[in-house]
Amino acid sequence: MSIQVRNVSKNFGNFSALNGVSLDIEPGELVALLGPSGSGKTTLLRVIAGLERPDSGQIYFSGEDTTETRVQEREVGFVFQHYALFRHMTIFENVAFGLRVRPRKERPAEAEVQERVHKLLNLVQLDWLADRYPHQLSGGQRQRIALARALAIEPKVLLLDEPFGALDAKVRKELRRWLRRLHDEINLTSVFVTHDQEEALEVADRIVVVNQGKIEQVGTPEAVYDHPATAFVYQFLGNVNQFHGRVRRGIATFGSKTLAAPEHETVEDAAATAYVRPHDIDIARAPGIASMPATVSHALRVGPVVRLELSRDDNGELVEVEVPRERFDDLGVAAGNVVHLTPRRAKVFLETPHAAVGARP
Amino acid sequence: MASIPFSRPEPLAPPPALSLARIPWVPIVLTTIALTYLALFLFVPLAAVFHEALKKGWGVYLAAIADPDAWSAIKLTLLAAVIAVPLNLVFGVAAAWAIAKFDFRGKNLLITLIDLPFSVSPVISGLIYVLIFGLQGWLGPWLAAHDLKIIFAVPGIVLATLFVTFPFVARELIPLMQAQGREEEEAAAVLGASGWQTLWRVTLPNVKWGLLYGVILCNARAMGEFGAVSVVSGHIRGLTNTLPLHIEIVYNEYQFAAAFACASLLALLALVTLALKTLVEARAHKEYSR
Amino acid sequence: MATLRRHSVLPGFNLALGFTLLYLSLIVLIPLSAAFIKTFTLTWDAFWAHVSAPRVVASYQLTFGASLAAAAINAVFGLLVAWVLVRYRFPGRRLVDALVDLPFALPTAVAGIALTALYAGNGWLGEPLAKLGIKVAFTPLGVMVALTFIGLPFVVRTVQPVLEDLEKELEEAAQSLGATAWQTFSRVIFPALLPALLTGFTLAFARAVGEYGSVIFIAGNMPMLSEITPLTIITKLEQYDYAGATAVAVVMLVTSFALLLAINLLQAWMRRRQGQR
Repeated sequence: MSIQVRNVSKNFGNFSALNGVSLDIEPGELVALLGPSGSGKTTLLRVIAGLERPDSGQIYFSGEDTTETRVQEREVGFVFQHYALFRHMTIFENVAFGLRVRPRKERPAEAEVQERVHKLLNLVQLDWLADRYPHQLSGGQRQRIALARALAIEPKVLLLDEPFGALDAKVRKELRRWLRRLHDEINLTSVFVTHDQEEALEVADRIVVVNQGKIEQVGTPEAVYDHPATAFVYQFLGNVNQFHGRVRRGIATFGSKTLAAPEHETVEDAAATAYVRPHDIDIARAPGIASMPATVSHALRVGPVVRLELSRDDNGELVEVEVPRERFDDLGVAAGNVVHLTPRRAKVFLETPHAAVGARP
Repeated sequence: MASIPFSRPEPLAPPPALSLARIPWVPIVLTTIALTYLALFLFVPLAAVFHEALKKGWGVYLAAIADPDAWSAIKLTLLAAVIAVPLNLVFGVAAAWAIAKFDFRGKNLLITLIDLPFSVSPVISGLIYVLIFGLQGWLGPWLAAHDLKIIFAVPGIVLATLFVTFPFVARELIPLMQAQGREEEEAAAVLGASGWQTLWRVTLPNVKWGLLYGVILCNARAMGEFGAVSVVSGHIRGLTNTLPLHIEIVYNEYQFAAAFACASLLALLALVTLALKTLVEARAHKEYSR
Repeated sequence: MATLRRHSVLPGFNLALGFTLLYLSLIVLIPLSAAFIKTFTLTWDAFWAHVSAPRVVASYQLTFGASLAAAAINAVFGLLVAWVLVRYRFPGRRLVDALVDLPFALPTAVAGIALTALYAGNGWLGEPLAKLGIKVAFTPLGVMVALTFIGLPFVVRTVQPVLEDLEKELEEAAQSLGATAWQTFSRVIFPALLPALLTGFTLAFARAVGEYGSVIFIAGNMPMLSEITPLTIITKLEQYDYAGATAVAVVMLVTSFALLLAINLLQAWMRRRQGQR
């Protein structure tokens, strides 16, 4: 089932949580809503679920306007951040709840309830916990039970609020791969909220980057990571170096370094910032064409890569560079050495408030 | 050894090496003073009730309780509690649902107003109903014209009991339901549960111990109230006397053994209340600290 | 109502709040306002004459004086009881802990006749005290004894949880810095308990001011000497002096509300204190 969000706004008092958001989600997709806390991503998820009513705008499920449909009738599966398992019910009764509260005519027979619940518990590989209570389970187990409970009502879409937020690092990694596999298996349109870029990049088919109640960019993980549409997306996804300078008619100047910025050809003269990923900078002992001299302050070996911290010789600004360990060993540089940096890839953004950047599904 | 009171709780038993300096004097002295104080003001009065009740033997004791006036007082006391407790229970659940599960303006004022009856003198709690329903009250003439009696009759006693026990259930449930948040109710809603289904299957089972706790305290006060019902009762023997009022009358007639016999019933009720309360507290602590 | 609140998916707000407000108004607010409205039918001079009559003033002095004394006794001993219950282990501690709430559970009339029997001239405690020349029952001292009984749990129950939550590290830090046991108590523990202690004191005082059932048996109820204010209200009612009874009641209601306000402020202070930690 597809989901369309049309121009949705939502305020809490004076705080604007969502500001004219539009978004299309295709059937069977697994979409991540990614953003910092307070960006409005959870509000967007709750509006889709029907847990919040938008001040304006519409939500469509498969083209059908569901904005006024009550949450009880919306047939969404919702997994809460802290699971919200019913603490006085067994795991079995938790999963069976959605079936047992149906109107008498639609309520499945007890045998069918038993069968469906056990099937779901098997799906999340926790059938052996059926008679336990939520407080007897680990965080990861509770998370999977919350998912089984949400799936019990055979929802049209699955919505997950920070599904791995409350788990420790190791369980989190396991569980997100498991979720990815589960999604490929059941192929249910799914949306999850996260503030963890790694999680979004690893799990999602598409990422929706949300900031200050607006959508900054929508795209595949590769597109969002490699071609960030806005300065915010550049900073939020991964480490990035910023070079401050000016753009004049398509030429950007940053200290001694110039870059071609054809996308800003019409700009007469404006302050601009170039964003360069640490692994997109070449490092050499000898100066190259338009390279930038810098002095090594630290070199830190982190697993297979070496993270170098340098200060530019022209203006003292800090630069971070990441090189593979072999490359670093070949270079043979140490703290105090002068090296020459050449950005392989950079993106230049004007330093005007990004007014033109809005929702661009 | 002076640092003992500030160390972790430990048994008072003296350490194996019994030298004078090693005896924890401070804890022993403080505990003795505290227990003496409690004995003088709590345990001895409680013991006195049973001692006085049985002073003249079981025969007098049983006769005092079997007395028809005592019997009708017991029945009226039960009646007042049977009406007041469920009404205040329903009110407590409604108030806690509104206050804990929704945001609205004036919430704190509402919580303060619900607690108001606790700070009103019992005598005034009775007086205010006399001012409304009494012969000289607002509705007095109208009631008299229609041959309805509230003051110096059973309805007045029920009203006064309702007033003094008003906050008990609500004040237990409100903080508990606020602490439990709304996520479980939201989860029930997403799973398709109606409002009543959510209340019965999710909210109430979650607060059952707090609810029971409130009901126990509410019931104890409803059966034991004296000042408020005294004002509205009229003290008509066999008709408008609750058990506490019956005790006063018998006592003032110098039938001390009979008065204490009836009082011992209420003292037993108090002890049962305390026992239940302690049990419920232990269960609630176990359940809510998860 | 819709503008009054934020949207929520949970139903039943209008029903629940509507019932709450209706029931609150019928049982509490309208009857209470009756007392004030009745007073407004009096002229100021008449009101003043009622509430400042010598017999009524004497009853204020007794009620507030005995309540203050009882609350003070309970503040000192309640703190001690809370300390002993939290910090020491002795046989029967849990039973004692449960029995502290007895004054909440025991009907006031029962407490009243029990205390009277105890402190009367021939009672268990009255007899030895009489030999020392101290007369308790049927004197203002008896009023104080009854008010101490009914106010006993308040200080214990407000101080106890704060004491339980008090971090051990605070005391250990003080001791590691060289403080003696007494310095640790007076400079570290007591200041942390003070808001709770004051709250308990005020609660006990407020309860004592309005108390009736446990007092009238032991007080002797002699006008000008051992008659408490709630009793003067009842006496006036029995003489069909509704206006006089209501006037005195309004004075007590205003006092109670002022105390309630004080308690709320103290509790806010307590929460801030605890929030800081």
